Amino acid sequence: MTLFLRRTFPLIITFLFGVAFAIQYYVPHPVSEAALTEVSVWLRIILGFAMILGIASLGQVHYAKIRTGVAGWGYSVVVYVSMLATVGVGLWAGGQEEGTGFGWIYAYTLLALQGTMFAMLGFFVASAAFRAFRARSKEAAVLLLAAIVMMFGRVPLGEYLVPAAGPLAGWLLNVLNTAARRGIIIGISLGGIATSIKIIFGIERSYLGGRE
Amino acid sequence: MRELAGKLLRLDRRAIFVLIALATLLPLLHPFGLPIRVSPEVKAVHDHIESLPAGSLFLLSLDFDPASKPELYPMAVALLKHAFKRDLRVIGMTLWVTGTGMAEKVVSGVAKEYGKRRGTDYAFLGYSPGGANVIINMGQDLTATFPTDYYGERTADLQALRGVRSLRQVNYVVSLAAGTPGVESWYVYGKEKYGFELGGGVTAVIAPGLYPFLNTGQINGLIGGLRGAAEYETLIGMKGKGVAGMDAQSATHFVIILLILLCNLFYFISPRTAVPRGSPEEVGR
Repeated sequence: MTLFLRRTFPLIITFLFGVAFAIQYYVPHPVSEAALTEVSVWLRIILGFAMILGIASLGQVHYAKIRTGVAGWGYSVVVYVSMLATVGVGLWAGGQEEGTGFGWIYAYTLLALQGTMFAMLGFFVASAAFRAFRARSKEAAVLLLAAIVMMFGRVPLGEYLVPAAGPLAGWLLNVLNTAARRGIIIGISLGGIATSIKIIFGIERSYLGGRE
Repeated sequence: MRELAGKLLRLDRRAIFVLIALATLLPLLHPFGLPIRVSPEVKAVHDHIESLPAGSLFLLSLDFDPASKPELYPMAVALLKHAFKRDLRVIGMTLWVTGTGMAEKVVSGVAKEYGKRRGTDYAFLGYSPGGANVIINMGQDLTATFPTDYYGERTADLQALRGVRSLRQVNYVVSLAAGTPGVESWYVYGKEKYGFELGGGVTAVIAPGLYPFLNTGQINGLIGGLRGAAEYETLIGMKGKGVAGMDAQSATHFVIILLILLCNLFYFISPRTAVPRGSPEEVGR
């Protein structure tokens, strides 16, 4: 019975829902549409529980770090304190942001911290460009040239100094970049279809947790 | 000379940080205001909004968090100003929970500026969990997906949403995205099935990845990065943060180009000793 619930039952559900909703896409009948409406609500409910699972997992990882006292365990304490404080203040404010402590945390900590993290990237990119962006090979030289053209062509000063830089950067994006991206997208899509078929037919079972 | 080049290659990175800080700050304090060329992909979004009759439904999904605010917030402001100026009915929402407060602020702020009334001229639906599933839900039944708006008002009673049962009644959707769920999700789960026109506004990092969708018409236009925001502001005759940031972006790009050129110059003239392939020394070179 345990084996049935742990392995066979999930495989049957996966097969039934996989096949049914692959067909559903091509059937615009009201019953089919109603089934999609219903199942998409289920999916959102399941995703809500996945969020709880994620929070539990995050808590577990950081608890282990604090318990074992690994290097940087203090940051795990910060994770706990900030998470619990935000949840506590959020519940106190009834989830409302306007004029509440929850809104204050959002505007003056989350917004500022995320903005700062992203802004710092500019400095690290410049430093990395100076240290690592070298024409060591023909391929690296081509990449270097393309990067310079793009940086020239995507800002007004570059277009002002070299008027052809803008259209050239546009050509790189629209032709060379698109061709490469299209190949990648087709590859990813075919891989996605193949993996989906393997999951639907029970060939790929790693999502069951690895225990047979 | 070769030793000097070697020493310069090992330049303290704090010197580079100072250069970038100056290149960002000085043009912001003393802008030089160079003309901005408008690209066809940005103009396509603008022209589509121009072509919509007053009262049409325009859905702006602000799918980003504060980390991408510098690039996407100016786009949101410009698009909302354009939409309100054209008297479109605006629906604001987000698929990113950490972007909710920011999204509400920009939608209600711009609406106030144009004297638009909440619930009548525009609606802000807020966030609903589920990522791409929210799009499918909205395509099936919009008011069931968002029974109430961000402020707790019943969406079925909102004047701004009159006659809207699902995404099929929406005339134009623009997703301002910093990742997934974003423009691709809106195309795959929304436009493909529910048939609305879709445009995108994204950070400069992910813009190149969306050009294949643009060239096939899967999205009708694309606003890429701060440059795209500046182009849109130019199109609607507004001098916002996009245009203001262009001078700083010009200067920083030029500093980075200069650094790359200098790095390569020093690299080729600096003394090089044979180092094992893949060793830390080789990687560092």
